Amino acid sequence: MVEKMTTLEKLKKYLEKIKEKDKDLNIFLEVRPESELIDEAKRIDEKIKDGKAGRLAGYVIGVKPNINVVGFHASCSSKVLEDYKSTYDATVIKKIKEEDGLIIGMVNSDEFACGSSGETSAYGPVKNPVNPELIPGGSSSGSAACIAAGFCDMALGSDTGGSIRNPASHCGVVGIKPTYASVSRHGLIDLSMSFDQIGPIAKNVHDATLLLDVIRGKDENDSISLESGKLNLKELGKKKKFKIGILDFKIQDERIQKLIDEKVKEISKKYGWNVKKVRIEYIDTAIETYYPIVYTEFFSATRKFDGRKYGKKIEDSCGPEVLRRVLGGAEITRSEHEGRNYYLALRVRKLIEEEYARAFKEMDIIISPTVPRLPHKIGEKITIEEMYSYDALTIPSNLAGNCSMSVPVGKVDGIPVGMQIMADKFQEQKMLEVGALVEGFGERR
Amino acid sequence: MGFLYKKLSEKDKEEIKKEAKRIMDSFGKKLSKIKELPKEGSIKRENSIREEGPGKDGSPDFKKRILENAPNKNKDFIIAEKKGWE
Repeated sequence: MVEKMTTLEKLKKYLEKIKEKDKDLNIFLEVRPESELIDEAKRIDEKIKDGKAGRLAGYVIGVKPNINVVGFHASCSSKVLEDYKSTYDATVIKKIKEEDGLIIGMVNSDEFACGSSGETSAYGPVKNPVNPELIPGGSSSGSAACIAAGFCDMALGSDTGGSIRNPASHCGVVGIKPTYASVSRHGLIDLSMSFDQIGPIAKNVHDATLLLDVIRGKDENDSISLESGKLNLKELGKKKKFKIGILDFKIQDERIQKLIDEKVKEISKKYGWNVKKVRIEYIDTAIETYYPIVYTEFFSATRKFDGRKYGKKIEDSCGPEVLRRVLGGAEITRSEHEGRNYYLALRVRKLIEEEYARAFKEMDIIISPTVPRLPHKIGEKITIEEMYSYDALTIPSNLAGNCSMSVPVGKVDGIPVGMQIMADKFQEQKMLEVGALVEGFGERR
Repeated sequence: MGFLYKKLSEKDKEEIKKEAKRIMDSFGKKLSKIKELPKEGSIKRENSIREEGPGKDGSPDFKKRILENAPNKNKDFIIAEKKGWE
């Protein structure tokens, strides 16, 4: 919901805050020249006065740097593309501009979206505004952090295995991974093409829903994209009955599960929701299924970064996690003639997708914690397996292609905890209605 | 090897390559224990053929945009070193 400030007043407030605090949080990679932003804010305010403004008029928006925006560097938070200036707007950016959203700048992220912590950026890690010693999550680290820090109203991130929901949880904001193929990927620099989706992050469910409604839809420039219909924001917050499944899956930090269970009990009592535990077979292999596919598709996606058409050769300029995925992907494609790794992972993916389809025949929504543990300290030594385990609960939604979101529901040790709300493919309306009701019960930040 | 960005030495790259192989092998081993696997590919599409139609005219500045970020170029051409991929 847009507060009663003009776009210009709000922009100035944000710019002042960014100047004051961003040097400690490292969220923005690029902010548009102030004079340009002010001119645009004034134009938007004129349109609002004349009653001709778009749906995003008054909203100030940050963008993840793997999304092309004319006039900015689509650096992917990497030295590989540090000089790469976008020559076109991604489809989602065109749509935002058409609706008078004000793009303030490009935020930091994990390098090439490879990460779950916000630490792998070539421009230094983003710090969690709630507790700057801790990771904000990733890979859309800056997108979630800029909302939590009060630097803008909304942000775009991308989600391949949890990269919107994970940082939304750690930073205490709302993040949505749309159904695969519902948002155009034209202009997104891909990590893993059969998982990637651009999605919104915002302070509340209403604003995230609004941005999602603007950006989604079939696009002739993304051949797999599909039409989804309009979302009904007026239904958010209305009392409705839903069949809720609580995911039966043991996580590392039981305090997080306890918080989720308590919230569901409270809300379901008030709204008369039917709640039961749901088991998803093979979900304990989600990480082992996801990463071989990502490694392979990322290796393929990065062959264009050879330093000839643009940028630098990726193997010469990237950080450890990006190189791990490139070399891992190269290795898989070499040994693939035995049907190991990639093809095997595709088949298990199919099993997990079918499991979710079966579960959603019985229930409307599946709820779980977004992340199975609290965020670690920036720079803390953790193993690869421990890092990848952050995604254990978010990856399944990418494997199945359905929609899911994270809504803040409280804190453990003063650190925000998100509840993941998942629905079947193209059932965003249901998911968002549940999200809005859950939000009404979250501990106030 | 941590996750924070750093410039990688050749020794780092070798270590990362071994790590990547180890991870993929361990993941493959876990998945290979699953007994009943479907045979088909993972994405069902009802319509996988795109109507080609007459095509779009490229925008007039397409060439300019394509060449804009090239590190080495000469008018209409990107310049790349011969056999640079070896």
